Amino acid sequence: MKATFFKIFAFLLVTVSTYSYVGQLVPQFEEHPPAKKVITVSTPPAELAVIGEELVRVKGGCLICHKVTETGNERGPDLRKAAGQAATRKPGMDAEAYLLESITTPDAFIVDGYSKMMPSALKPPANMNLAEVKAVIAYLQTLGGAEVSVKIEAGDIQVAKAAGPVHRGKELMGQFGCIGCHKVEGEGGVVGPDLTPIGQNRSPEELMRKILDPSAWTTPGFPPGVMPADLGKSIPEGDRHEILAYLMGLSGKAYSPTGAASPWSHEGMRLGLVILVFNLAMLAALAWARAREKKETT
Amino acid sequence: MTDTITLASTPQALKGTYKGVVKISLMLAATYLVAQGLSHYLPAADYRQFFGFSNRIAVWIVAELHLMFAAFVLGVPIFAVITEFVGKATGEKRYDDLAKEFTKLLAMAYTLTAVLGCVLLVLFVALYPKFMGYMTKLFKPTWLLYIVLIFGEVVIAYFYWYSWDLLQGARKKWHLLLGVLVNLWGTALLFVADIWVTFMMSPAGIDDAGNLTSLWAAINNHTWMPINIHRLLANVAFGGAIAAAYAAVRFLNAKTDEERARFDWMGYVGSFIAIAAFIPLPFAGYWLGREIYQFSEQMGVSMMGGSFAWLWILQAMLIGGLFLASNFYLWLGMGRIPGAERYVKFQIPMMILLTIGFIVWATPRSIIASGAEMSAMGGSHHPFLGLFGVMAAKNTAVNLMILTTFFSFMLYRRGNRVPAVPWAATGKIVQALAIAAAAGVVLGYGIYSYSVPSNIRIGFSVYQVGAVLAAMAVFVAIDIPLLRGAQEIGAIRWGQIPARAQYALFFLAISFTWLMGLMGYIRSGIRQYWHIYGRVMDESANAYTMMHGHATIIVSCITVIFFLLVSVVFWMASRNEDGEGEAK
Repeated sequence: MKATFFKIFAFLLVTVSTYSYVGQLVPQFEEHPPAKKVITVSTPPAELAVIGEELVRVKGGCLICHKVTETGNERGPDLRKAAGQAATRKPGMDAEAYLLESITTPDAFIVDGYSKMMPSALKPPANMNLAEVKAVIAYLQTLGGAEVSVKIEAGDIQVAKAAGPVHRGKELMGQFGCIGCHKVEGEGGVVGPDLTPIGQNRSPEELMRKILDPSAWTTPGFPPGVMPADLGKSIPEGDRHEILAYLMGLSGKAYSPTGAASPWSHEGMRLGLVILVFNLAMLAALAWARAREKKETT
Repeated sequence: MTDTITLASTPQALKGTYKGVVKISLMLAATYLVAQGLSHYLPAADYRQFFGFSNRIAVWIVAELHLMFAAFVLGVPIFAVITEFVGKATGEKRYDDLAKEFTKLLAMAYTLTAVLGCVLLVLFVALYPKFMGYMTKLFKPTWLLYIVLIFGEVVIAYFYWYSWDLLQGARKKWHLLLGVLVNLWGTALLFVADIWVTFMMSPAGIDDAGNLTSLWAAINNHTWMPINIHRLLANVAFGGAIAAAYAAVRFLNAKTDEERARFDWMGYVGSFIAIAAFIPLPFAGYWLGREIYQFSEQMGVSMMGGSFAWLWILQAMLIGGLFLASNFYLWLGMGRIPGAERYVKFQIPMMILLTIGFIVWATPRSIIASGAEMSAMGGSHHPFLGLFGVMAAKNTAVNLMILTTFFSFMLYRRGNRVPAVPWAATGKIVQALAIAAAAGVVLGYGIYSYSVPSNIRIGFSVYQVGAVLAAMAVFVAIDIPLLRGAQEIGAIRWGQIPARAQYALFFLAISFTWLMGLMGYIRSGIRQYWHIYGRVMDESANAYTMMHGHATIIVSCITVIFFLLVSVVFWMASRNEDGEGEAK
């Protein structure tokens, strides 16, 4: 029996090693997430084009379908010719406007011989802002051998869209009215203290206590009892942690917005209830079966 | 569910079931307390490391192992209850015994699945707290439903096992009902678990800020139903392959001819189930691929033509190996069927067809070449071989391989029988025409698809698949009445099969497992640096697509760990049977 086991185990090792070996034979490369680049109105054209190239290669995922060298993909048009041909694609539309449209609303015009398949660069997964789209245009212009003519304007530069529901603290502070009395990042009321630097002096636990019980302490120079006693309790637990994560982040400190829930929170109670119900049901069934068996025996 | 001696009274059966409920109650309570304790005491962070080990690899290994055991425990009851139904319909006790043998394998596997699931949950909570917090916020109602379903599954599955001897004779129908319920419950569990994983791939039902707008839309996302169906079929194929491997171990360790015959038959049934469920699997895969393209063309292209394209070459090698091994097993098995020598002449042509299909399927589109080689070829694609690297050729190859394997099966089935109906010759001609027509459709669409874009081409696979399925349906529909009352040349000599056939069964089980690990990696990997594609970014140090070589080593490690754990299950099943034998 042992000999059979070792034979089978050796067979297993040989088989999986062969598969792994073939895995080493295919091309090896790592793909990393896009690096965050800062674009401003004064970013020099050459740097803008470099940022654009990085966006085309990584964040935009453009090379999955387009090519920028002789040996690339051909699902979409050759990007080396894109800037040069842009001015002639749509009558009445200049090259820069055409490139902007083709990147942000690709379905507006489909080049002959290609199909509708490109997502807007403004939407996930590329999720670019207008400044990034213009950096891509700058790259396409240099790729075609032209001068960079595209200009970044103040309105193009927005803070990168939140990558989902993380760190929504600022939005939540507006939603729950905190901004009405407190200033954060230069915005808000002056009834209460400026919360921008609060994370420097207070721990997340202390801040949580203050949210839940406003009478816990009062910042010197401000009158006590102004903050409504039940305000914090009306904010859902997850949202309270999001606000704390945002405030701590303003002071350069990390805090997980998930926080820690009490073992006796709703989830715990629900799980306990399910366990209890199933155990009681089984015990009842067992008692019934035993009573029935006893009766039958008698 | 560790005892294999089933019980003959209701209180005893209920007591055995209650033990299972207590076990799962303790596991869930302990998991909850450990997860909460860790959340409470560990320093706040968005990501944590696992004792210096990569959090991603820790979760990957445990999740994949959990998935493999879950696939096994959900797949086995499907064919166990079908075998039990066959036993009831034919009145042959050997089918009932086989169904019981299959169910016995679930014993330890259930416990291991639950333990791995609990460890996985703790790892998620401890290593990915922010992500888990978000998922909890969205899917809390489904998690509660999942726990209720787990308890229901435990109660029904344990009672199904412990009441096997109790519910015999006139009560058999109640046992069959329990078997059906185990499967319905298990399928519901699978569907709920798939909600979370498919939402991460193709999120829906949330607004731009990530707030839930519709729970049903989040559940019924683009990939949910295709993955449900794909996994359901894959679970049966996987369960069949593992059950066949168990039979192969028992065959090789058998001391008597009777034992050898018993486990030869079990191995055959297990492999039959595995291959029968495996044949429609690529079709479910096409549907999934199509839905991925519908959801995001970019995701689809990066899966098939981007960084993951090379892993499909590995997949082709695995599936090609599976086709060859399953045909090899069938052809070896024909050696114990009197009369099957009539069909030996088909084996060489079928092997050539399978090999050509294998080669075409495993041909890469782009070749790693030096500058001089590339200029000699006129580009990165070889002028002739490059034609076989695209999906048009690969879809055609795989469909023809499926058709060949199906034909092989049909010959095996007909091995010792000679049709006696007067219309036998006409029937056989219609069967041959059905196969030829399907091959024609597959080849025709394969050639035509070279001239259309990729999003239209992927739709052609549906027609190719449809033709193959239709040919199979026609063939089987004719075969059943054709072989009714057929003359039998001789009985199958169960147990008289070479030992190397058992290694073909091991190969099937190992390759299925490795394939599952690889496909799981591709499915998860195409999200790239997103936890939830396009919505929640992975901001950890592990948010990168690793080198294929590293990924395949991890898949191999998972496969080895899985088989070491499975060998414990096999050992427990064999040991308990020995104990049962001695007790009797």
